[in-house]
Amino acid sequence: MRAGFTGALLFRLTLAAGAAPAEPPSYRLDDYQAPVPATLNGRPALTVAEARALWEGKQALFLDVLPHPPRPEGLMAGTVFMEKPHLSIAGAIWLPEVGRGELAATTETYFRQSLAALTGGDKSRKIVIFCKRDCWMSWNAARRAQGYGYTSVLWYADGIEGWREAGLPTQDIKPYGS
Amino acid sequence: MPSRRLMLQCALPLLWTVVAQAESGPSQDTWTGLKPMFFGDRTIDEAPGYVALEAPKRAEDAALVPIDLKFPRRETGDRVVAATVIVDENPSPLATTLRRGALDGAFDFGLRLRVNSYSYVRVIAETETGALHMAKAFVKAAGGCSAPASKDPEEATANLGKMKFRSFAGQGMAEAQAMIRHPNYSGMQMDQITRLYTPAWYVTQVAVRQGDRLLFSLENGISLSEDPTFRFTYAANGQPVRIEAKDSKGADYAQTFSADGAAY
Repeated sequence: MRAGFTGALLFRLTLAAGAAPAEPPSYRLDDYQAPVPATLNGRPALTVAEARALWEGKQALFLDVLPHPPRPEGLMAGTVFMEKPHLSIAGAIWLPEVGRGELAATTETYFRQSLAALTGGDKSRKIVIFCKRDCWMSWNAARRAQGYGYTSVLWYADGIEGWREAGLPTQDIKPYGS
Repeated sequence: MPSRRLMLQCALPLLWTVVAQAESGPSQDTWTGLKPMFFGDRTIDEAPGYVALEAPKRAEDAALVPIDLKFPRRETGDRVVAATVIVDENPSPLATTLRRGALDGAFDFGLRLRVNSYSYVRVIAETETGALHMAKAFVKAAGGCSAPASKDPEEATANLGKMKFRSFAGQGMAEAQAMIRHPNYSGMQMDQITRLYTPAWYVTQVAVRQGDRLLFSLENGISLSEDPTFRFTYAANGQPVRIEAKDSKGADYAQTFSADGAAY
């Protein structure tokens, strides 16, 4: 009895100390920059080493889903609007906005059509989805791609930060289709 | 006048050294790239006494970062006529250009900005002779440009262009506040219903007059906070105060208040 109580307490303490949260039943809708689960649909996220092996073997499509507001509509003529450089995994394709909890119909179409074009319609193609460390958008986007019927979607949760810390190649990229 | 010029030039190298040492932290790279876009090859120094900038080191709300500009009294010929506020790391860095009305006496001006990521906020003051003098502060705030609007579109539209004017003479301060109700959409905010970016729609011009005399005018970008609000040096003189504004869709707004602000 006593041991059981201590065990439960320890378990709770471990959770409180920053154990990964459980997977939610559906998409994360807000507060995207927060600790993420360890798994996607029960499958552990890729480690940096695993992502690197896939990248070096050119075995997978790497998709960066960091959001990106384009130059706004409605700016006065001549307004300076700077596009910040976006450093990503070298060779990755940037599909902004597709990792939000709910998508506008146009964004959903953009994601579906981009995936179809990039995989050549091969739903078994290996796809690695990432954004930043502790960013739910990559989790959402990977889950969504699975929902579209892609069967080899891998989630790389450590993001560009993990990649850079490992000293792996990066590249300044632009949104796909822009 | 010539002697002051000489003094400034002598003091400059020393000043740069001090500044450079104090700021090994945040990077000036962004400003190095921006400066020619807004000021070409004109010289900008950081000589004190022209403008001071006060900003929180860490902002509680990145969409509402209070900034205070203080223009001390200066001699005729060397007074500040205009000031440009730039938020280095905002995608659209030019927040506003302030033009002063009367140039005699000190003038304080407070405004609220959106700050999108950790950034220098800087003000570049221009004097009657066209000299440029800068002050800056580093602000830790993020997400201010993309933060969702605090009011729903219906509420924002219902109150669009309504203004407030308030004098703080009753509290013993020679200051007043002007507020213009406007969603001031930056164009970088996600509409929570459509899940698309709401197009930019913002107050581009403001002029505040006391009787016939201009107190200040502004030309704005997208970096001012929702419901643009300004606090400024003000002494009632019996004349009514008129606030005029124009937005990026070309709509005009105006309202006149009694000198003590009691009319609203």
